[in-house]
Amino acid sequence: MSRPTPTMALKVMRSTGHRRVTVSWTISIVVLGLFTLAAIFAPLVAPYNPDQLDFGAIYANPNLAHWLGTDSLGRDTLSRIIYGARTALLAPLIVVIASTILGILLGLLAGWRGGWIDAAIGRLLDVLLSFPALLIAILAVALFGKGLVAPVIAMSIAYAPFVARLTRSLVISERARPYVSAYRVQGFSGGWIALRRVLPNVVPTVGAQSTLNFGYVLAELAGLSFLGLGVQAPTADWGAMINESQAGLVGGHFLPALIPAIAVVIVVVAVNVIGEEISERIGGGTPA
Amino acid sequence: MTLLEISGLTLDLPNGKRLLHGIDLTVSVGETVALVGESGSGKSLTAQSVLGLLPSGAQTSGQVLVEGSDVLTMKPPELLAYRRSTAAMVFQDPRAGINPMRTIGDHLTEALRLGEGWSVARARERAIEVLAAVDMPRPHDHLRQYPHELSGGMLQRVMIAGALAGSPRLLVCDEPTTALDVTTQAQILRVLAEQRDKRSMGLLFITHDLNLAASLCDRVYVMNDGRVGEEGPARQVFLNPETAYARRLVAATPTITVQPNEVPAPAATAPGPAVLEVRDLTKTYRARGREPVHAAKNVTVDIRRGDALGVVGESGSGKSTLARMIVGLERADAGTIAIDGHTLKGQPRKRVDRLDRARRVQMVFQDPYLSLDPRMTASQAVEDALHLHHPRLRMADIRTQALTLLSSVGLATTQAEALPRTLSGGQRQRVAIARALAIEPSLLVMDEATSALDVSVQAQVLDVISEIRRERGLTILFISHDLAVVRRVCERSVVMRAGEIVESAPTIDLLTRPQHEYTRLLVDSVPRVMLVGGNT
Repeated sequence: MSRPTPTMALKVMRSTGHRRVTVSWTISIVVLGLFTLAAIFAPLVAPYNPDQLDFGAIYANPNLAHWLGTDSLGRDTLSRIIYGARTALLAPLIVVIASTILGILLGLLAGWRGGWIDAAIGRLLDVLLSFPALLIAILAVALFGKGLVAPVIAMSIAYAPFVARLTRSLVISERARPYVSAYRVQGFSGGWIALRRVLPNVVPTVGAQSTLNFGYVLAELAGLSFLGLGVQAPTADWGAMINESQAGLVGGHFLPALIPAIAVVIVVVAVNVIGEEISERIGGGTPA
Repeated sequence: MTLLEISGLTLDLPNGKRLLHGIDLTVSVGETVALVGESGSGKSLTAQSVLGLLPSGAQTSGQVLVEGSDVLTMKPPELLAYRRSTAAMVFQDPRAGINPMRTIGDHLTEALRLGEGWSVARARERAIEVLAAVDMPRPHDHLRQYPHELSGGMLQRVMIAGALAGSPRLLVCDEPTTALDVTTQAQILRVLAEQRDKRSMGLLFITHDLNLAASLCDRVYVMNDGRVGEEGPARQVFLNPETAYARRLVAATPTITVQPNEVPAPAATAPGPAVLEVRDLTKTYRARGREPVHAAKNVTVDIRRGDALGVVGESGSGKSTLARMIVGLERADAGTIAIDGHTLKGQPRKRVDRLDRARRVQMVFQDPYLSLDPRMTASQAVEDALHLHHPRLRMADIRTQALTLLSSVGLATTQAEALPRTLSGGQRQRVAIARALAIEPSLLVMDEATSALDVSVQAQVLDVISEIRRERGLTILFISHDLAVVRRVCERSVVMRAGEIVESAPTIDLLTRPQHEYTRLLVDSVPRVMLVGGNT
């Protein structure tokens, strides 16, 4: 629009209100930024080696030497949290990226081609969706052994259907728009239109939505490690830390288990706040 | 006797933007007053303020007096009573204004039962009475029907009936016929005029259509940019406008009135070879469990090189399907389409076929807001097309060519870098035209290419089209529901109804001597100002 008309001005006023930068958004960004920096620069930031045992300081309460105390083997909890942030953040990131790419490709194919391809992909997605992601991950561990590689791949596949469904519905609505017909009339091939023109128009919305998966994946991977199927000792991992500290709970040493649990909660909440804000901004914006 | 008197009405949004700059307007009892203007002129806002419907947080000054009381200062309960008994409104889109889950009867009786405390039987009686007043064929049956069972025209009559149910003395109509076909529009206007006379209501009629305003209304207010630019008796404003803006608006408004001294355009300037030959084209949509819809029945059309052929018809006549079959977006059931003597088959798959088809025929779509890729700038849109068809050209040359094309449709270099959302409707449609021209097609199909535009913008785009025709000798298939627009562009026209071509003749002849009864109905339904004497 060269000039806003009164009717338009009213619509804008009614729909968006005032887009405010909320406190929770700012805090979430800061929290996630701190965790990310800590994970990247763990060797520089962590006060101790995460695997260093200190039998003189078993179950130490928080003090000046150990800010967050120590666990049953005298390992510094803060250092383990910092090192644990590496797997806690990196693994979900890989899952989100991989599932987004896989889901977008499937969804684009199904939505663009329609017909039997759509039906076939749709049933495949239904089958995948009927299993909880954690179950698929456990199955992958059972087949390929413990460790993070198998669960990450399994989760990437398990989360792809959510992305694929969204992509498919967006592609279908996009395909019906006259600009796609205009490209066809100009002589462009279907594949070119789908990949070069329609795909870039749906990626922002899909991408914003799949950032929301990050939190879920983080929590589920932590759960997997808690069950002893994910990250293996002695590598520091939040889920594994909770698991290892279970025994201490009976003796009243709840901090070594509580702190990694709190870390999981903080990061998941922060990621979800950011993800929701992003998808609201992108999804709620008026398309052209 | 004055019914509505608006004086010095201003309206500011909370952000300080002033949308109305001192409107003065009066409507007397039994009078019909038109508020004419293009989109963004503030005419809807003025109309809504009469009902006390103001944008939230808006600051107003001035007065809106209806029968002596000021709507702007009414308290909510007073406003409610006022809307129930004194003034009512009919909106543009009847389907958007009615609850799809409730019956017509619910819609009509609800306000009477809940607001006035009438008994069900009494409210029903009134509903039947108002339905009969708006010429609905079976008032008793309609009460049990749901909105989806009625056509747009019928539904608009229901909305008018709903507005009449409270026996208002002032009826405000905001573009009540814009979404309707021209023959339906004629029926609605007749109903409105009848009820106005019978109930001696005042009618405030908002429209962008100057012809319509002049044919229906006693007086006309021309609005522009939140101000009343000109007012006066309808015929005077239309035939003898005083202000520059009104003159421009009148000049831009296409009309089907043929001047007595106007000679028919020479039939087919120097009979050239046929560019488009459509033979017995047939297409039927068969949806499961429904009556088959015949979108095209044995359609036969020819266009010679350099000609422009108009295809006129109401919604559902199959004119868009014809266009989509010609450009290859739909497959015909039977019949042939040949361009430059080359018969086209279905949707092309191979690259060579696709490019060949594209060079034969290009299309400009109806809605420029949807037919451009939101992510591509104006010049990118044109460059894409050029690059596809001239892969060997260097990028710099492609860019120069794109800019030349854009400037040939009247877009500046600065606008070439703009994304569609920052361009106006007219500018977008120019981009779409430049994009189609980039491929240098033998035939250009324009499907309602100016319907979404304001009259003055439409006039500019039509000028661009005729300029291009002059310079390039382009052959055009021009599809429109608007006889007046077709008349401005096309020497010859065909009239379509329900998939069939009912008449084919030079456009002037269609307007002056329609042969088929449907053409006659179509021509007679178009509102117009009589040039010589008499009332309209």
